Amino acid sequence: MNDENSILWKKVQEKWLTRRNLIRGAAGTAAGAGLLLGSGLRLSALADGEDEGEHNKCKAVPRPIPHISTPPGTHFFFPGPVDASPTTSPNTGHDPSIITDFSGMVANADLIFSGTGTDLNTGASAKYDFHADMRFMDGVFVGLDNERHRGSIGFI
Amino acid sequence: MTPATPNGSPLGFHSYDPGVAAGSLVMWGTPFPIGSGKVDIGAGTADLLVHNVCSVFDVFTVPNSFDPKHALGIFSAIINSMKIEWSGVTRSVLSFSDATNKFRGDFFECSATIAVSVTTPKDTGHGFHFESDPAKTHTDFAQFGTEHNGMFF
Repeated sequence: MNDENSILWKKVQEKWLTRRNLIRGAAGTAAGAGLLLGSGLRLSALADGEDEGEHNKCKAVPRPIPHISTPPGTHFFFPGPVDASPTTSPNTGHDPSIITDFSGMVANADLIFSGTGTDLNTGASAKYDFHADMRFMDGVFVGLDNERHRGSIGFI
Repeated sequence: MTPATPNGSPLGFHSYDPGVAAGSLVMWGTPFPIGSGKVDIGAGTADLLVHNVCSVFDVFTVPNSFDPKHALGIFSAIINSMKIEWSGVTRSVLSFSDATNKFRGDFFECSATIAVSVTTPKDTGHGFHFESDPAKTHTDFAQFGTEHNGMFF
């Protein structure tokens, strides 16, 4: 990695941490604790007792899969069978993972579901419906830092 | 998580996603605690259980999520808990390999249910809380499996 890349990487880290702090501050103390103890640092801390050294903490940013679905112009396939036809279904199915250089377990679910929504400002409640494409990828991946990481990435 | 009702609801629009991490092109991805997602090929099941996912935003609509200016606003939110269960395998695609997209693996199509609780804090002025009913889950598509892509292909 050359100096230019080092500077770029440092900026990436700063932005990442800034955003994390913003989320923690806005979401409240309990939520912040959940972030710290749960999702936020586990990825960078790694599992299985691995120790990458101080300089590598918070660096486990995965790479996206190469494919871009347009619209919306982002790196993912819409949910569908992995063996979908590339001719008739170029953007649906195929690789369910959103990250590349990955080896592990994957699951995705394209769901429509109902429940109860409550307006916390007025107290009004009503039936509410959501449509969600949820996924997780749990295993080993090579991040933007070219290091191998053990981690779990969710797609929400 | 986006509204399923195109015309909205009396409670307004709410849509939750983690955005795109700075410095990365991974869309709507967020770290989960290691081991929160599990796949049991032998049992034909998979599950995901997470709590206190704070790295999500209420962006109200998907177009607003992709709008760099987020004209409708964007507020930090929290997925209090989420449990997704995959089961009932209907189709197995074993030893699948796609050289074009550089991925391979064993994949099992099935159905899924979701139990999720999500909150937009009241102090945003758009306070909202949602509790799903897992029995009222319709699966458009679901699958789980083991995969190797990119340099692991």
